[in-house]
Amino acid sequence: MRRRRSFFQLFLLATAILVVLLLFARTQVLDNDAYFGWSRDLLAVKELEAQLDRDLLRVSAFLLTQYDPLTDVQEKLEPLGRRFRDPGAGRYGSTTDGIDEAIDAYWRSLGRKQALVERIKLQAALLRNGLSYLPLAVEELAASGTPTAGTVLTLLNRLYLLNLFPSESDERAIRETLSRLDARIAEQGPDAAMLQNTVSHMRANLAGLLELRRLRDDYLAMPSGERFERLQTLYTAHRASAAHRAEQFSRILFVLTLLLLLGLALVLRHLEQTRALAVRERNRLRDAVESLGEAFALFDSRGRLLLSNRRFADFYLWLAKSLEPGVAHAQLERETLERLQRVPAAGATGASATSQTYFEHLEDGRWYLASDSKTAEGGMACVRFDITEAKRRELELRKLSLVLEQSPASVMITDTQGSIEYVNPRFEEVTGYRADEVLGRKPSFLKSGDTSEEEYRDLWETLSAGREWRGHFHNRRKDGSIFWESASISPVRDEAGRVTHFVAVKEDVTARKRAEDQLRMNATVFETTADAIMVTDADNRIKTVNPAFTRMTGYAPEDVLCKDPRILSSGRHNARFYRRLWERLLGQGSWSGEIWARRRDGSVFPALTSVVATKDDCGRVMEFVAVFSDMTQRKSDEQQIRYQANHDALTGLPNRALLQDRLELAIAAAQRAQRALAVLFVDLDRFKSVNETFGHVNGDQLLQKVTRRLDACVRQADTLARFGGDAFVILLPEVGSGAEVATVADKIIARIGQPFHLADREVYVGASIGIALYPEDAETADAMLLHADMATTRAKEAGRNRYQFFTIGMQRSVRAKAELEHELRRAIDRQELVLHYQPVVDAATRRPVHYEALARWHHPTHGMVSPDRFIPLAEETGLIEPLGRWVLETACRQLSAWQRMGWSHLGLAVNVSARQLELGFTAADVESILAASDVAATSLVLEITEGLMLDGRAEFCTRLQELRDLGVRLAVDDFGTGYSSLGYLKRFPVDELKIDRSFVQGLPDSSDDVSLVEAIIGMARSLGLELVAEGVEDERQLAFLRQRGCGLLQGYLLGRPASGEAVSELLACSLDSSSPDLDSALHP
Amino acid sequence: MLGAEVRLEPIRPIPEAATLEARAAALGERLFADPRLSRDGRMSCASCHDLARHGADGRTHPSGTEVTQGSVKTPTVYNSGLSFVQGWNGRAPTLEAMVGLAVTSPAFMGSSWSKVIQGLRSDAKLNADFDAVFDEAPTPETVTAAIAAFERSLVTPNSRFDRWLAGEDEAIDEAELDGYRLFKSYGCVSCHQGANVGGNMYGRMGLMGDYFADRGGEITPADLGRFTITGLDEDRHLFKVPSLRLAVRNPPYFHDGSTETLAEAIRVMARYQLGRSISDEHVAAIERFLTTLVGEHPRLTP
Repeated sequence: MRRRRSFFQLFLLATAILVVLLLFARTQVLDNDAYFGWSRDLLAVKELEAQLDRDLLRVSAFLLTQYDPLTDVQEKLEPLGRRFRDPGAGRYGSTTDGIDEAIDAYWRSLGRKQALVERIKLQAALLRNGLSYLPLAVEELAASGTPTAGTVLTLLNRLYLLNLFPSESDERAIRETLSRLDARIAEQGPDAAMLQNTVSHMRANLAGLLELRRLRDDYLAMPSGERFERLQTLYTAHRASAAHRAEQFSRILFVLTLLLLLGLALVLRHLEQTRALAVRERNRLRDAVESLGEAFALFDSRGRLLLSNRRFADFYLWLAKSLEPGVAHAQLERETLERLQRVPAAGATGASATSQTYFEHLEDGRWYLASDSKTAEGGMACVRFDITEAKRRELELRKLSLVLEQSPASVMITDTQGSIEYVNPRFEEVTGYRADEVLGRKPSFLKSGDTSEEEYRDLWETLSAGREWRGHFHNRRKDGSIFWESASISPVRDEAGRVTHFVAVKEDVTARKRAEDQLRMNATVFETTADAIMVTDADNRIKTVNPAFTRMTGYAPEDVLCKDPRILSSGRHNARFYRRLWERLLGQGSWSGEIWARRRDGSVFPALTSVVATKDDCGRVMEFVAVFSDMTQRKSDEQQIRYQANHDALTGLPNRALLQDRLELAIAAAQRAQRALAVLFVDLDRFKSVNETFGHVNGDQLLQKVTRRLDACVRQADTLARFGGDAFVILLPEVGSGAEVATVADKIIARIGQPFHLADREVYVGASIGIALYPEDAETADAMLLHADMATTRAKEAGRNRYQFFTIGMQRSVRAKAELEHELRRAIDRQELVLHYQPVVDAATRRPVHYEALARWHHPTHGMVSPDRFIPLAEETGLIEPLGRWVLETACRQLSAWQRMGWSHLGLAVNVSARQLELGFTAADVESILAASDVAATSLVLEITEGLMLDGRAEFCTRLQELRDLGVRLAVDDFGTGYSSLGYLKRFPVDELKIDRSFVQGLPDSSDDVSLVEAIIGMARSLGLELVAEGVEDERQLAFLRQRGCGLLQGYLLGRPASGEAVSELLACSLDSSSPDLDSALHP
Repeated sequence: MLGAEVRLEPIRPIPEAATLEARAAALGERLFADPRLSRDGRMSCASCHDLARHGADGRTHPSGTEVTQGSVKTPTVYNSGLSFVQGWNGRAPTLEAMVGLAVTSPAFMGSSWSKVIQGLRSDAKLNADFDAVFDEAPTPETVTAAIAAFERSLVTPNSRFDRWLAGEDEAIDEAELDGYRLFKSYGCVSCHQGANVGGNMYGRMGLMGDYFADRGGEITPADLGRFTITGLDEDRHLFKVPSLRLAVRNPPYFHDGSTETLAEAIRVMARYQLGRSISDEHVAAIERFLTTLVGEHPRLTP
């Protein structure tokens, strides 16, 4: 009944809400925007129509001599008309009260009006022409002296009057006169033709006048005004009725909303009362449950928690948060099951149809007796008792009885009279008597007779006094054999303190007594043997060592006890060695062999070692006994030592010492046999970077791989040696010619040039080879090696991955270089270095954009030394560092001077080498030099070589980026000569490319150079880089480059390098003259 | 400022082209020369409307959908946006409608919109440009809008006469001014007035004489003028009064292109429209005046 009522209420509520929503939607019908748009359009149309009317009247009165204004109005009307009748705009066709018809009617009349306008325009033009021509015609007629001239003039006047004041009688009179003139024309007088023309124009004018009036009257009679009024009236009415409807809906809406609110208030009040009642009842129940001693929880039929008492939460502490009414039983179970074990309860209290009883054993050791019972409603009541204490006692008892049963000691319990009440299984085992044979008897049947009466008396006295007695028995087994027992007998008292029983705990000590004798003997051996003995436990911790151990290793027992035997490790054996040792030891129980061990003083000695694993009865390893002797003497084998001294540990190749020996021997043999021999010095290219990139372990691996490849390139008789680092030497003791050696060198370069697989990567290294031949190049082993090395250096300079024969010239150049280096060092101090400046000009204007600073060396005796000679030397020796700094400082000071002269936009280009960056030339240096000379960073271009970018070091990239962050521009010098790659251009922060002079030289005749330069220009454009062409020497080159869009040019044609003073003068001149003919000014 | 100073004459100066639709006009300029608008991919708007010469081709072409309807002279596309309707008989109320006719009419480019749109949409660059201007790919509406926008930009302001109208007395000489006086006094200006010197009303060919009888030859549907559109008797031989802005550059004359020289055209007009004979001296003077109406446009060869 009640449910039906609430359903009915719900239905009522839903209906009410639906009605409210419906009404709300209806009130929204009144779309103000649409109405506003309508009103606006109506006004606009009305205004345009008025304008059309006004212009039309002006046209028909000849007041408007051009028709553009009319055209304008019609153009504006056209879109309005479309908008009015566009069903999509939500007006046309959306109402039923005749508005559509009114719109149609109105636009029809407007359309008709516009059609009339077109005709009136034409008619007015025609008429105007007639009116302006007729006086001329009449004048002509009068001049001809014709007698009708007077008549025609009068006629003309009448016609004009008629144009001004329409009158039917005048019109008639004019027509009559015209007819009379017709008759006159028919007479074929001398003036007939002229007269006819005049008359026909007058007739046309008369007809036109009447037509125009008719058209104008038609136009004015158009009912568009009334139709507009009707449209507006209808529209206003429509709007008013819509507004009225909306208002009515609003009112109903208001009332309904009020009713709804009222209903809501009633429902809320009822709900509140019900809730209060429920809370009261619930509290009563909760109090009852809380007062229970057991944990209690009640779940409804869907398994939701209805209530639980505080004790329940205490029992299951982890549920403290979850225990809220409404939580699912299943969820509590999930959270609980992993924290406890359920044990079915034994006996009648177990499962039944309506309840279930079991134990719960918690992780923390507590035990609960749990009982879950079904309630009448289909829910469940859970009750928990804490039975931890009872369980604990039960377990303890069971444990104690187990101890007795399994005790390794025999136990006997007697009453105070000495009658046996209990013996344990061990007792049976030791004595050979079964329990049923001894129960009730006195223990005296065990007596062997060897124990004295005094001892028994002492025993009884001690026990009677209530104390524990300890001693030994010499007893007899059932089979008659005698055995030793150590015994402890104690009285057992009840709660009142009275002695009720005696307990005897006895142990068979016969075996122990025998073992003690054996041990005593073993210890003597242990102490006195010459071999070192070390015993470790199952965990391989040293348990004991003998004095010989201490003598051999230098470790006292207290130094090593409980330590791992690893302290003795020499480090000479690899993991595999130990793995095998242990495998054998654990598998077969023993191992013997040689181990290199380390003494306490760090010295290493070979030990002949034998290790045995001792196991217990179950086969478990208990300890390891190692016995070893020092075999240092035997190991000092000369062969071994020599091998180590002569071979490289990593590659196993002969080392430098052995190579020296063999080379000397080979030279001696070659000398005797009048033969030639060759030494190839092989140096790996880029090995250093492999080492840095992949680490030394991989570097070592690479060297081993290289060794294998080199080995495959030489014959059996040849010697392959490792000279140190990444250098190898090959001795060919018997060669026919240089060509033969070159073949071997080629082979090596090819093999080493193949990629190596290293750390899952493909690694490329190369080989540079220097070759020295005996007897041409040198006659001693040392000289051969030195010259081969020199040739290698030359091969590397020549571009790596190639071989080079030693020549005497080479030796000389090395010496000359050393001298030059010495002098260069002094040159910086003696200020023999000067800077020259070469302009880089704008291709279009030929004005200098910046100057490139070029170092020159005025040598006191050699004259001018080319930078091609001394710059590489400076890089090699590190002199480039002070030299580069000097160049930048000097050039910046010079630029500052020029800028102060007025060339404020002039820039400067300075070369920077990779070596400079390596030597620590940083952005901070540049910044301070710029600051010192007061030059903006943006004025400076630093030119770097392609090689620097190809080097690919991230460090360089960072350096360059830092430079660029200052605002300095970076240019790639000699672009195109290296391995041009788009990749590095994108990776490095470059602004400018300098096309190498070698490509410019061939322009524009060499097709190769043309295509290359065009490609560079295209690439630079796509990357947004500025281009400088170097080495421009004639006008044709200039024209070509300018036409292809190369922005900047440099070369003798545009200015040779000149001293700072010379350039200053030039700049001063061109500033003063400010003549456009800068070219001549810039070309000394 | 301008309005206040302009001389009060029936001919008005050409306003500068509006720049509101510049982006659409730029697209329209490309489409104007795009042969994908035609059936066989060989014609474009520019094929007949040579912008460098005078915006027309100096020829007559079949008009309308039927080849049998007779030929009409190609009107110039310059200043066409100033005309109140398009076509000799005013059959297109707007430039947009005219573009539609030109694309689909067999007498012109003879294509269909579906084909044209398909062709244009295969051009990714064009699609992107349309998207930038109209927020959608080419549609018949946007294509016509773009071309119409371009055509509206084809005005020839700053003619010598316009400069004279703006108060620059020396812009035209005395003889040309005489020509203008005659142009007004003969009544030419009654129809050829406004900014476009025509193009804002319909006129009947042969008001004061039977032009077609004197011309000879068969009367074609094209000769019927606006009648072919409305079917009203009163519209027989009614044509849009053409603009005289580029008249000196753009022979032959009249809807049928029957008259080769401007002088002859002036004589024909005087006789059939004004019912007057005109002296050679006056013809020459009016011709001189007409030369002052030619204005400037970057595409128009001066």
